[in-house]
Amino acid sequence: MTRTQIVKVAAIAVLAGIAIALPYVVTNYYVTLLSLILATALLATSVNMLAGDAGLFSLGHAGIAAAAGYGLAWASRQGFDLLWQLVIAGVLTLVASAIYGLISMRTNGVFYLMVTLAAGMVCFGMAYRWSSVTGGDNGLTGIRRPELIGEYWQFYFFVLAAFVLVTFALIRVSRSPFGLALRGIRDSESRMRSLGYNVPAYKFVGMMLSGVVAGLAGILLVWQTEFISPSFAGFEASALALVMIVLGGIGTTMGPLVGTAVVLAISQVLSTYVDRWPTILGALFIASVILAPQGLIGGMRALASRVRARNRPQQLSREG
Amino acid sequence: MDTIFLLQQVLNGLSFGALLFLVASGFTLVFGLMRISNLAHGAFYLVGAYVAVVTVATTQNFWAGAIAGAVSAAAVGLVTERGLLRRVRNQEMPEVLVTVGVLFVIADLVLAVFGGNPKSVGAGGGAPSGSIAIGDFVYPQYRLFIIGVTLVIGILLFIIQKHSKIGAIVRAGVDNREMTSAIGVNIDKVFTGVFIFGAFLAGLTGAIGSGLLSLSPSSGTEILLFAMVVVIIGGLGSIHGAAVGAVLIGLIDAFSKAWFPEFSYFTIFAPMALVLVFRPYGLFGRPS
Repeated sequence: MTRTQIVKVAAIAVLAGIAIALPYVVTNYYVTLLSLILATALLATSVNMLAGDAGLFSLGHAGIAAAAGYGLAWASRQGFDLLWQLVIAGVLTLVASAIYGLISMRTNGVFYLMVTLAAGMVCFGMAYRWSSVTGGDNGLTGIRRPELIGEYWQFYFFVLAAFVLVTFALIRVSRSPFGLALRGIRDSESRMRSLGYNVPAYKFVGMMLSGVVAGLAGILLVWQTEFISPSFAGFEASALALVMIVLGGIGTTMGPLVGTAVVLAISQVLSTYVDRWPTILGALFIASVILAPQGLIGGMRALASRVRARNRPQQLSREG
Repeated sequence: MDTIFLLQQVLNGLSFGALLFLVASGFTLVFGLMRISNLAHGAFYLVGAYVAVVTVATTQNFWAGAIAGAVSAAAVGLVTERGLLRRVRNQEMPEVLVTVGVLFVIADLVLAVFGGNPKSVGAGGGAPSGSIAIGDFVYPQYRLFIIGVTLVIGILLFIIQKHSKIGAIVRAGVDNREMTSAIGVNIDKVFTGVFIFGAFLAGLTGAIGSGLLSLSPSSGTEILLFAMVVVIIGGLGSIHGAAVGAVLIGLIDAFSKAWFPEFSYFTIFAPMALVLVFRPYGLFGRPS
C-alpha cells in the first residue's frame, strides 16, 4: 500500500469508529441532529452525483425527495403496511425521476438548472394545492417510523448504514464505464455524441439513479421528522442542497456530508442565537463561490497537496 | 359557458401575462446579453414591491411608490452586478450560484424588515381603482391599467431595440459579444446598464404587481418560477419569445385556476414540458 492509501484507510477507520461511538457519548439531541445531517447529506449526495460526474446542476431535487416522502406519508396515513408504504414511495420516486429526466435530458448548463427548478416548483405547487391528498399547507402529520428503528439511536445507525452504502455504491457507479461516460459528457458533449454515445439517454439514466438516492433521502427525512409539508419540496430545500455541495466541494465524496454539517449547524444551532441565519448562510455561500470555488474539501485538498509539495524536496535530500 | 365568464378569464389571463412579460423581459435580456441566468431577479421584484408598499403608505401616491420601487431595485441590481457578479464573469455556474445566494439573502432581509404577513399596496392616489361596467360585464380597472402600462412599456422596448443606437449595441452584443467589444464598444458598461435596466423592470413589476398579487417574502421565488417558465417556453434571450410565452402562460393560468384549481401549477408545467421535448431551446430561442 502507498502512503496515501494508508492515510485513506486510517481516516475511514477513525471516522467509522467515531460514527459508531457517538451515540454512546453525546446526548440524544445531538444523535437526532446527526441523523438529520446524514439523511440530508444523502439528498445533497444525489445532487452531487449529477453535478460532480455529469456537470449537471439540479435545483429541483427536493421535489423528488418530497414525492417519495409524500408517498410514504400518505400510504402510512391510509393504513397501508410498511411494505406497501415503501412500494408507493418507490413508484412515486421513479415516476418523478422519470419526468425530471425526460424534460431535462436534452438540456445542459443553465438550462438544466432552470428546468429542474421549474419541475421542483411544480412538485411544491402540487403539495401545496392538492390539499385533499397532501393536506395542503398543514402537511401530513403523525407518521410513525417502523418499530425496528423506532428509538432515536436505532434510527441513527439505520441512516448511517444507508449513507455509507449509498456512498460506496455511488463511488462504484462513478468509476464504472457509465460514470466515465457521464464525465465525458461533462467535459465535451459534442465529442461524446460524435463517438456514438446517446447523450440524452445517459443523462436520463443519471437522473434516475440520482433520483433513487433523493427518494431514499426523502423517506429517511420523513421518518426523521415524522411529518411532511410543502416546504419539504420548496425552492429553499432544493437550493440548500446545492449550497451544501458547493460549500463542501462539488464532486468530492465527503463534500456533501461536510457541507450539510455546516449548513445544518448554522440553521439548527446558530438559529437559536441569531434570527437572521439565512442571511449569514447566503453570505457565506456567496463568499465561498467567489473566493473558494472548490469548497471546503477541495480547499483542504489543495492545502494538503501544497504541504506535500513542500515536504517532498526534504525527503529527497534525506534519501540522497 | 357564457361570454362574460370567458371575457373575464381572458382579461385575467392577459393582465397576469402582462406582469409576467415585464418580469420575464428583463430576465431574458440579461440572459441574452450576458448568459447569466439571474435568479436574483426574484429578489429585485421583492425589493421593488416592498419599497412601493412603504412609499405608497407614507406618501399616498401610487406613482411615487412605483418609481421608488423600480429605482431601489435598480440600485440593488447595480450593487449585485458591480460588487459580486463581476468577480465571477464568464463562469457559467458560479454566476448562477451567486445569484442564488443573493436571492437567499434579500428574501431573508425582506422578512426581517417587513415581517412575514402578506401585504398589498394601499389604494393610494393616482392608481385606478374601482371597476368599469359595460352592461352585465363588470371588470376591475386596475387589471386593465396593468395591461395598458405593459403595452406602453413593451412597445417602447421594441422601438428602442429596433431603432436606437443603444438597441443596436445590445442586439450586437447578444449576437456576438467579442465582436461587439472588438469594434470599440465598452461591453462591460453595456452589461452593467442592461443588468440595471432588468432590475428596474423587475422592481417596477413588483411595485405594480403588489396591487394585484398578494405580497410576501416568498413572492420573489413564485414570480421567478413563472418568469422562468415563460422564458423557457419563449426561448432564452428573446423578447418576442417572452411576450408570446407570457400571454400563453397568463391565459393558461387564468383558465386552469377557474376550472381545476388543485392542479394550476401542473397546467403551466405541461406546455413547458411539451416545448422542451420538441424544441429544447424554446419557441424563439437559439442554442448557445
